[in-house]
Amino acid sequence: MKPKLATVVLGGCTGCHLSLLDLHERLVDLLGAVDLVRSPLTDAEEIPPCDIVVVEGAVGTVLDEETVRDARAKAETLVAMGACATLGGVGGLRNVLDTADVLARAYGDGRGPLASDEGADRAIPALNPLVRPVSAVVDVDVEVPGCSPLPDMLFDALVAAVEGRPFEAPRRTLCAQCGRRHESMLQHDSGFVADAVYGVMELDAIDPDLCLLEQGVICMGPVTREGCGARCTEANIPCRGCMGPGRKEFEQGAKMVDTLAAILPAGAIMFLDDLIGTGYRFGLPSSVLPASVGRGGGGDE
Amino acid sequence: MGNVPVGLYLSRCRGTLGTPDVDAIAARFRDRVDVCRVVEDFFAPDVQKSIVAEIGERGLGGVVLAGNSVEHHMRSLSGPQLKESIVDAGVNPNRVAFANLLEQVALPHSADAAGAMAKAVALVGDAIARARTFPAIEIVETVPDRSVLLLGATAASIVAAQRLLRLGYTVTLADTAEVDPSLSIGGSFHATGAFVSSHPGTTVIGNAALADADGWIGDYAISLTTPDGTRPVHVGGIIIDDAAAWIEPLRAHYALSVDDEGLPLSLGAAHPARTVDPGIMLMPAHDEDDVGEVIRAADAAALAVVLHLSVPKTVRALATSVVDESLCGGCASCVKTCAFGACSIDPETRLSHVDVRRCHGCGKCVVSCPVGARDVMSSPHVQMLESIRAMSAADLPAPRVLGFLCAGCGYPAADAAGRQAAEGGESYPASFLPIRIPCGGRLDALYVLEAIAAGFDGVAVFRCREGHCQNLVGNLDMDRRINLLRTVLRSRGIDDARLRIIDISPDEGVLFAQEVDAFFSELEPLLLTEGSLR
Repeated sequence: MKPKLATVVLGGCTGCHLSLLDLHERLVDLLGAVDLVRSPLTDAEEIPPCDIVVVEGAVGTVLDEETVRDARAKAETLVAMGACATLGGVGGLRNVLDTADVLARAYGDGRGPLASDEGADRAIPALNPLVRPVSAVVDVDVEVPGCSPLPDMLFDALVAAVEGRPFEAPRRTLCAQCGRRHESMLQHDSGFVADAVYGVMELDAIDPDLCLLEQGVICMGPVTREGCGARCTEANIPCRGCMGPGRKEFEQGAKMVDTLAAILPAGAIMFLDDLIGTGYRFGLPSSVLPASVGRGGGGDE
Repeated sequence: MGNVPVGLYLSRCRGTLGTPDVDAIAARFRDRVDVCRVVEDFFAPDVQKSIVAEIGERGLGGVVLAGNSVEHHMRSLSGPQLKESIVDAGVNPNRVAFANLLEQVALPHSADAAGAMAKAVALVGDAIARARTFPAIEIVETVPDRSVLLLGATAASIVAAQRLLRLGYTVTLADTAEVDPSLSIGGSFHATGAFVSSHPGTTVIGNAALADADGWIGDYAISLTTPDGTRPVHVGGIIIDDAAAWIEPLRAHYALSVDDEGLPLSLGAAHPARTVDPGIMLMPAHDEDDVGEVIRAADAAALAVVLHLSVPKTVRALATSVVDESLCGGCASCVKTCAFGACSIDPETRLSHVDVRRCHGCGKCVVSCPVGARDVMSSPHVQMLESIRAMSAADLPAPRVLGFLCAGCGYPAADAAGRQAAEGGESYPASFLPIRIPCGGRLDALYVLEAIAAGFDGVAVFRCREGHCQNLVGNLDMDRRINLLRTVLRSRGIDDARLRIIDISPDEGVLFAQEVDAFFSELEPLLLTEGSLR
């Protein structure tokens, strides 16, 4: 009997499922190896008992929480797929706001009915106070980083899950994969590697081979897990950190402060414009302080 | 790791440690350690002997000394001997932990018995954890090179050189200016100069500048630039006389403390010639025109260096930074942050590499490392987190403040604060819980977040005044990141007044107490409006 595979989407954009589709021909291999019993592409509403469930998205609503607990109960192995499921993801940035502010910002006055509204039938599920990664709610067996995950890595993780093997994404920093050259980074002085901080578009010319940080471009490469093949930096685009930290306990937002302040002029205004959005773009819910302290510390409420 | 047998020794400090009750503390921990004993005084020879004997009999792998400050153990006349004898008995130096129950608990909090007790319990518990879990570090033994480099070809240097030559040492006299090879400086020291200059063990180098330096006591490798090219000099010890000319270049290679004028500081009145680097001596201050003063200074410096080098072996515990090659990505942020040039990227492996001869264990590279590929043996990351949690578990009233104390300034200042409080000076609340860090630059943004998450109402960081940092730029590094860190705090709805950075010097005990008090006053209204963060 082929193992039964189900996939679900919580608070996510379905981008991780698109990564699954990006397996192209290997999708045929995968579907040959498993029985796909439920996914957003099927009509099944319920998650049937299965061997593996792949979860995309963070736990941000009451419905997400029900779904992920159900998924955990139904499956032997739970795979958290992508940055939202593993770290909380982009949507987790709402943890710095009250839920009322979140709804007002998203919908203004024109929002539809909430489940909590009187007389509401089909409605937007009520928001939990905090967005949480899947692992903060249920036990997770396999984590696949990335926003969205690389099809290759996703394939390896799923094959490992099918075969009952452990899977761990590589843990070094992106710098290990980015072939860009270091120059002033290697000098034994405490000077800055660039005189200011620039957006890529502000540079007159980009040196395609020199470390982007040395060109004054904020790159999250040092605080980000390798494994993506450094495709962004190869295309002269700085790393945004979507693979998350190599080890979760070294959260990107705090380590970015520690690391980049040692090498770049920290006061650079553009950088400070959205420090939180830069450092915690993909992982605020996995921080030591995953929310405004006035709103409760997150975790297990 | 968790099974290292630990001995806990509590000292009454010859009666000065009254509150908290040492016997009550011993009772609290008796079941958690392998040996638990209250002694009258660590420094009494019979007590030292009995501790050493017990280490052997009970196979202790870790020792906690609860009583006098760690500073006392390092800087007093008799202090270092105790640690040395414990290490000689087989305990790794990294597993000799101190719980400062005198200067940082009993003296400042004598009027608050409950607070002192709670704080003492937290400090002892943390020290036991450190003695048990700190990684054992490598000890390098060197047969000391019985040669001394004297920086500044002055009268005092020449007198010191004469003493050293007579004792069988070789000497190198270097000066930034032109030096007469006959060392004829005239006056009272004419014959001394002639003796030194004509001695086969003497080398004189004029127009010299420091090009490079590394190593440690017994084994310093120095490279001097001279008009004739670069000269390597290998010595066991260094005496700085012309400090104004040499201190700046020396500080680029060795951790040394300096005063407001940037001149080197000795370890204090008990050691006028010693610096924090055990092989680097100072010529004590003297009037160059006063023959008696010149000779006394030269004798003090020469004796200090001889006391440290006339031993069969010198030891250096490598409490340095280490690299986990399975995690390092070669980003080079450690290269940029190290003030001593101890970090570099190996061109072959593209991974970070530590030159232990240049690393002084300040831990700045651990902070700048983005992935936890670095750690420093003297304050391992995991144990820092454990210490934060141990301090947060102390049963003390709000507001509670976690204080990170730089070992070079904040920690001795806290000791001074205790001493002046005992003499009737200003005290400060027991709800201030200290963690000793090797440098202000060791403060990781993560630790501030952890402290808030653990329930502290405020975080205070005591770091060196501008220009004083032994690691040159540890305090500057902190400045660079502190505003970013404040932004991170504000994003979580935390008033950044909860993080206070205080510049201090080692002897400023009154200021220390005042600053802690002022911080507590500032936190009071934050508690009323925001509620305790716990």
